[in-house]
Amino acid sequence: MHEKLKKTLALLLAALAIASFAAGCGGTNSGGGGGSGGSGDEEEILIGVMVPTSGSEAYYGTDMYQSYMLAVEEINKAGGVLGRKLTLLQADDGCDSNIATSAAELLISKNVDFVVGGYCSGATVAAMQLYFDEDLLLLISAANSTGITQLGLDTCFMLNSPGSHAAVTLADLCKSVGSSKVALIHNGDEYPQNLSKLCEDELPKHGIEIATVQVVDKGASDVSSVVTAIRNAEADFVYWCGYHADGSNVIKQLRQGGYEGDIAVGDGSASVELITACGDAGEGVYVTSPPFVRFAEGGDRFVADFKAMHNLEPGAYATLAYDTIYVLKEAIEKAGTLDTGAVKDAVQNINYKGLSGTIKFTPDRELEISNFIIIQIVDGDFQLVTI
Amino acid sequence: MFTFWEIVLQQFINGLVLGSFYALVALGYSMVYGIIKLLNFAHGDIYMAGAFTCLSVYSLISGYMPGWLGISLAMLAAILASAILGYIAQRVAYRPLLSAPRLSLLISAIGVSLVIYNAVMVMTNSKAMFFPGGINKSTGISYGHVTITYMQISLLAAAFAAMAALTVFISRTKLGKAMRAIAIDTDACYLMGINVNAVISFTFMLGSGLAAVAGGMYCVYYGNVQYSMGYLVGIKAFTSSVIGGIGSIPGAMLGGLLLGLLEAFGTQMLGSSWKDVFAFSLLILILAFKPNGLLGKPEVARM
Repeated sequence: MHEKLKKTLALLLAALAIASFAAGCGGTNSGGGGGSGGSGDEEEILIGVMVPTSGSEAYYGTDMYQSYMLAVEEINKAGGVLGRKLTLLQADDGCDSNIATSAAELLISKNVDFVVGGYCSGATVAAMQLYFDEDLLLLISAANSTGITQLGLDTCFMLNSPGSHAAVTLADLCKSVGSSKVALIHNGDEYPQNLSKLCEDELPKHGIEIATVQVVDKGASDVSSVVTAIRNAEADFVYWCGYHADGSNVIKQLRQGGYEGDIAVGDGSASVELITACGDAGEGVYVTSPPFVRFAEGGDRFVADFKAMHNLEPGAYATLAYDTIYVLKEAIEKAGTLDTGAVKDAVQNINYKGLSGTIKFTPDRELEISNFIIIQIVDGDFQLVTI
Repeated sequence: MFTFWEIVLQQFINGLVLGSFYALVALGYSMVYGIIKLLNFAHGDIYMAGAFTCLSVYSLISGYMPGWLGISLAMLAAILASAILGYIAQRVAYRPLLSAPRLSLLISAIGVSLVIYNAVMVMTNSKAMFFPGGINKSTGISYGHVTITYMQISLLAAAFAAMAALTVFISRTKLGKAMRAIAIDTDACYLMGINVNAVISFTFMLGSGLAAVAGGMYCVYYGNVQYSMGYLVGIKAFTSSVIGGIGSIPGAMLGGLLLGLLEAFGTQMLGSSWKDVFAFSLLILILAFKPNGLLGKPEVARM
């Protein structure tokens, strides 16, 4: 009952936000373009941005939004797309299915031309059908559960490597460090659970045994009994499939509980905050990571521009977000129109070389070439690992 | 790797540590219920506020003094802050409703919970905060494959000391006697000249202070705090106090420890995805046979 009320309140707040938008005070949430937040303007291309800017994943959502802003500013400075300027309109999905649907309704009501965003897979899945029904193109920058493309909605493209690519990367990593018994831990959320399942299917194909699969409650404090179960299963490698706040807890308690094998975490935990949160326990932890900007080709210029604009370091999904806008730009220019069908076909056939790697889509609208890299925490900083 | 008994012992330790958190928070639920028959749903959030105070104060002062002193002071600040918060909540949201139906009081409690939850969410920008490093948590005693860290030992010691002090306080002091008297018959207490409102305020502060002890221990032990951390613990602590017999002080402790142990052994026997099913099935069974909880007394209708 308690949680429900909290959700109800969140919905009420979202409704209030919509009301305040309708009243015309939503100017703070649109940016990057000519400055005026008006959506009825024929001259501008309005891009809806759906990312979490509140809740546990707010850090990533904000990071992505800032990256979109950078790309939009660059494009507008260079003359825009088809001679028209880009404008962003942001809505918070709170990494929560309920809030995500209100966010989608907000964007649809503002007549956005395209939608980008999507960090949490669960929230993204909840909103996708709404966009599809409105025949809106959705470019998903970060969320990457294979559950997204399995819905078969042909206006939704996933620009991040799906979890199945991460499973292959993990198998390579296990082989290179000589591990043969892997324990998987997830927290029951859409993406972590999906990733865990994909690893369960993939690893045995490479001769790697799954020692045990464990689940921890989201936000749970004590996982020591899970640690004991993992030690008892004699796993020599632990893979955390969830997000970084809970992940740091898991890593610390694994080390406290006397686990001595290797630890890796999934892309949901790929954040510099993981290093701070883990402290000494984080040393040596591997991350199957999305294309981290500082290891990307041409990343230095991007980091410098990002810092100049926001006075912040870009995070793990900044490159993907940045590329998303450029993919959209190229597709619109190829299509020569804003018509969803034409732009959709252009996206389907795109071959774009961006910061995050080569963006090319399979017929299922997933990324064709894996963009996963392996990084490791060494002396309190991330280092690229080549295997 | 582990022998059977090593596993049992290790999971027993794990469950005991987890259970002592539940027990400390459950005490607050139980005391308040015992006195004014209110399910104080804001209690989990007061625990969260305590953890945040502890972490913020420690981050501020840790550079100027040795670690143990910093932690003690931070803990003290957390207890004070939570006690004050508990008092304010009681004064503003509960006291005006004391004569209203209990359901109104319950709604008021949910309101307080939402206020604290969202206030901390806004103040922290909904980000997790992390405990500055420097405390070595991984050293401890090993016996075979079983390990118990010094941190765990001190947590258990602190929790049991707090619970023992509370028991002595309630059974030996005048104020404790007044609390028990109000629990039995509030109206009679008014007639006997007991300052009921003051005692109720004090009960809230005491319960909130204990929750802050748990919150402070949490932030030292686990090293991170989030605005949403109170929810799960609140629900588990509420469950604990019902199992132990809501209103009963030793019952809350017993219920908390029992729930922690059940979760640990549930994880071991059925896997972590089934641990709650395991724990709660057993709890339903207990309630089926002892509807008033393990140590609860059957409600006697007063004439």
